[in-house]
Amino acid sequence: MAEFDSHWMNAWQDVVNADPGFKVVGTHFTADFLLGFGEREYVVSVREGHVERITDELSIETPWSFALRAPEESWEKFTQKLPPPMYNDIWAMAHPLHGRLQMDGDVKVLWQNMRALMWMLDRMREVPERELVEERATRV
Amino acid sequence: MTAVREPVTGGYVYVPYAGHEYRVFYEEAGEGIPLVCLHTAGTDSREWRHQLNDSDINGNFRVIALDLPRHGKSIPPIGFEKEDYRLTGKFYSEFVMAFCEALELDRPVIMGSSMGGNICLHLALNFEEKVRALIAIEACEYSPGWYISWLAHPHVHGGEACATSVFGLMAPQSPDEYRWETWWYYSQGGPGVFKGDLYFYSVDHDFRGLSEKITGNVPIYLMTGVYDFACTPEMTAETGKKIKGSETIIMEDIGHFPMCENPETFKRFLMPVLEKIQAGAREPVGAGAGS
Repeated sequence: MAEFDSHWMNAWQDVVNADPGFKVVGTHFTADFLLGFGEREYVVSVREGHVERITDELSIETPWSFALRAPEESWEKFTQKLPPPMYNDIWAMAHPLHGRLQMDGDVKVLWQNMRALMWMLDRMREVPERELVEERATRV
Repeated sequence: MTAVREPVTGGYVYVPYAGHEYRVFYEEAGEGIPLVCLHTAGTDSREWRHQLNDSDINGNFRVIALDLPRHGKSIPPIGFEKEDYRLTGKFYSEFVMAFCEALELDRPVIMGSSMGGNICLHLALNFEEKVRALIAIEACEYSPGWYISWLAHPHVHGGEACATSVFGLMAPQSPDEYRWETWWYYSQGGPGVFKGDLYFYSVDHDFRGLSEKITGNVPIYLMTGVYDFACTPEMTAETGKKIKGSETIIMEDIGHFPMCENPETFKRFLMPVLEKIQAGAREPVGAGAGS
């Protein structure tokens, strides 16, 4: 089960940066956005289709354009290899009766980069198992 | 080498409606009971290519899929550039019937998905004497929340945004090739067309209080996929309970675009419906049937 800690976030960053499709769809994707997994929050910095940095040290030095926040249980369903109905997509999760995902901030940036954003979120399902993730150094 | 050809042919027909002569493109295949297929919002008749080509379907039905005005190869009416396009239930339902009249179809079956499913409720209420049966896919009496301004905004790529916003409506079980093909259709709509269609889907279409008025004289089949979060199975089932003579069919492992995201899975649910229509069966069967 994904724990959405720094190990997991780094592993996701590696998966996204190694993905050939993301290099294509994300060529013009440059943004800083916030991901909230329950109480845990990170700012993800993407520069021209490359995840440059993920940090959990949030301050005025880490501004973000838009935010996606959802309960941890919703992201756990979203990241399953075969996500269940109502949890396979951020718009599905935004349903108030289901995933309760909140979108905040400058959502225009989200709409402008939606394909690249959703492409990288879908890669969350490819994050390796816990043992492999823990072997890696923490960068967050 | 022998060319591989499909049985599908395309044609144009002029449909007079409200002072315009609409040049309408349609594809068709087969012979038998006319089966008119309605595409979803912002796309066109290509969504129905699998059913058009399926000999199990076109062997008994004359399958016809049209492009609504502004969609696919059907051009918009003169003066469209000055309009804020908003599809209404009145135009949509009357236009579909005008198209059927232009082709001289005798009491066709109408099958539509999403907005094409929702319009089936209008056809049931207002045109029951002119249709044989209705197959309303991903339909319910009220589906709010999709009339979104970002879908037609100069700072947002319309093709990318429209297509990507609906991608998650398809089930993860559906083959990648068909899901991305559906994405492709969505990426090709004219500016503001998807948004304008969604005006009907989420605003103008409000059948709360009207579903109960459908007489039940025409069989109506409500078919919804479990991954549809725009019109959830619960929303369809609630509507089904209110429509006399309806049958609600919940489809596992599929989402909002059954005919094009996973034609094989959809066929398993569709064939029994078509067989009932052929047999002229009028009695609703199965869970969720209306009273």
